[in-house]
Amino acid sequence: MKYFAGIDIGSTAIKISIVDENKNLIGSKISASGSMFYKYAQETLDALTNELELNNNNIAYIVATGYGRKLYKEADENISEITANAIGARAAASEFGEIKTIINIGGQDSKAISLDSEGNVVNFAMNDRCAAGTGKFLDVVALKLEMDVNMLGEYHFRSQGTPLSVSSTCAVFAESEIIGLLGNDHSIEDIVCGVHYSIAKRIVKLVKRVGIKEGVYFDGGPALNAGLVNAIENELGQRIFVPKNPQITTSFGAAIMGVDSYNYENN
Amino acid sequence: MSNINHNIESPKEKQNRHKAMEAIKLLNTLREDFKAPIKSMEYFYDLFERVHCKHESLHDGKTKIGTMCIQIPSEIIYALDGVPVRLCNGFYTDDEIGSDLMPQKACPLIKATVGHFASGNFTDKPDIVFSPTTCDQKTKAGTTIESFGYKLIDIDFPRTKESEASREYWRRSVKQFAVELSKFQGKKLNRTDLRNAIKKIGYAQSLYHKLSDFRKKEIVPILGLDVFLVTNAFFFDKIDNWIEATEKLISELEIRAKEKITVTGKASPRIVYTGSPPIFPNYKIPQIIEESDGIIVADETCSSNRMFNDMVAVDEWNIYDMMDSISDKYLKACTCPIFTKNEDRIRRVVQLVKEYKAEGVIYQAFAGCTVYEMEQRSVLEAMEKEGIPILYLESDYSPSQGGQLSTRVEAFIESLKTRRRKKK
Repeated sequence: MKYFAGIDIGSTAIKISIVDENKNLIGSKISASGSMFYKYAQETLDALTNELELNNNNIAYIVATGYGRKLYKEADENISEITANAIGARAAASEFGEIKTIINIGGQDSKAISLDSEGNVVNFAMNDRCAAGTGKFLDVVALKLEMDVNMLGEYHFRSQGTPLSVSSTCAVFAESEIIGLLGNDHSIEDIVCGVHYSIAKRIVKLVKRVGIKEGVYFDGGPALNAGLVNAIENELGQRIFVPKNPQITTSFGAAIMGVDSYNYENN
Repeated sequence: MSNINHNIESPKEKQNRHKAMEAIKLLNTLREDFKAPIKSMEYFYDLFERVHCKHESLHDGKTKIGTMCIQIPSEIIYALDGVPVRLCNGFYTDDEIGSDLMPQKACPLIKATVGHFASGNFTDKPDIVFSPTTCDQKTKAGTTIESFGYKLIDIDFPRTKESEASREYWRRSVKQFAVELSKFQGKKLNRTDLRNAIKKIGYAQSLYHKLSDFRKKEIVPILGLDVFLVTNAFFFDKIDNWIEATEKLISELEIRAKEKITVTGKASPRIVYTGSPPIFPNYKIPQIIEESDGIIVADETCSSNRMFNDMVAVDEWNIYDMMDSISDKYLKACTCPIFTKNEDRIRRVVQLVKEYKAEGVIYQAFAGCTVYEMEQRSVLEAMEKEGIPILYLESDYSPSQGGQLSTRVEAFIESLKTRRRKKK
């Protein structure tokens, strides 16, 4: 049996997925990107192959993707995270039906990708150069509110009052706005809820640029936040699908790409 | 398809949430961001919060008479047991809904009003709507609103006010309005009720004048933003509650005036605000002015001063005289830019500047409000002749333009400060 690895080196985390010849996901691992992308990516891959009791020779093909993909020189191929995300999302959601639109929020960017019925990327939109409304923004908010970022979802659903929006989703400006809200003794729940809606409104604008279709899929670390999912669903006015492990979709897609590339090159 | 189990909002719930978020943001700013807050303003903050965040109805069991402009006489509505509800709208949420139904370049106020009707989502839904044929966009919006299934009656309004013919024309329209409403209500208009209604509204107007007197003083005890909120509340509040709350506000201001409590900085330039009306929660420009150390001491807008400035002047308290006096107030005293000639508006602005010792004028027009956009030329010329500094701004309801507008307002206010220093 041959195995294929997809390595997604993001700004915040390194995500690795390994699939078999039949493109079944057999394992994945997430670690922080830290300061040495290459070194940590290699360590994470080694750790994962150990866990799965494979050795590196079993890995027939490696595809790197993500912001730091070019730093991982051992890769057989590297592809953009847009392509990898599209492939991974379709595979991850296969049991749920067809995916037409992907929303991805990462550590420092957010994108909306529109797919045709064959899964080809027909259009995509990304945020501007800043990290407004991304995972980093949620980190800053959680830090300021003295809570773990995983708690944000819970606070969202406890909000009783009107969500208090922040006018800027810029991580720097929003921090001072949140300090202002805290200074006036507003409920943390309403602040969290407002933060989620501010991000949701921004992301929905991005989705509108590529066109809203049925079959919206949401991944990236912030998709773990049920409050944000709820806010995006309300702003879109439709259900969205979040995979079980929303952080690894892109690396999963890269690994699948590896199977196809390997078969193509060796046949 | 979702794997997370929470209900998705209906379009109505979403609209309500969006409007609540717009409302609370402004209300919290008013409550918290300025110095020396006024206790009795809490009635008004709470009123807007109840209506726009908690979606409470105020007039259950009453007949709600929707009005599309200030020219529909509230005196006659009260005399015929109705409650006037003015539907001019300031929500960006509704503006976005209306944008799909109106030309792209239309005025945001009309788009928001049409959007509100299109959604059908009212806390106090009007039982009938009267639409005076004032500006083009409002006039045409009537048919759009009617197409959503509302009962709407146009009231012919003339666009010249100098001629005797237009005066007669408008008097006929006002009579026609009274006839229509009387039919709708199944009640005849009688002398006593009309007289009482005129007196009550006259009293409310007198309270506005008292409130304004405080703003003429050197130490200004109330923000322009708060005054806009008070006058906007008159659009829809129960009139007796409004009167009581405004009386309380005036008593508190008397104390503040005695104790020399001010809401301004040491050298805040005094501003007269004119142009397209600030309607809750679109207080964007007034907010920028007062956050940039300016103080609005008076305004010439149809959402505030123009509603209250001129009283109905009755000669003989018989019904014909009362009706004529009411008509004249809504035509002759009106300074809306829809009129062919509008010297009155310029005179009013100059008079306000002098009376309230203002140092500059800020003129705002909604992008798409053609008449205000056109009239800025003559107003700017007139102000220049009078030596009154004026800043002209165009804006809309979108929450995003803050940065560029505030730079311009700040620079203008700084120039007023410099001017004052040089004078001394």
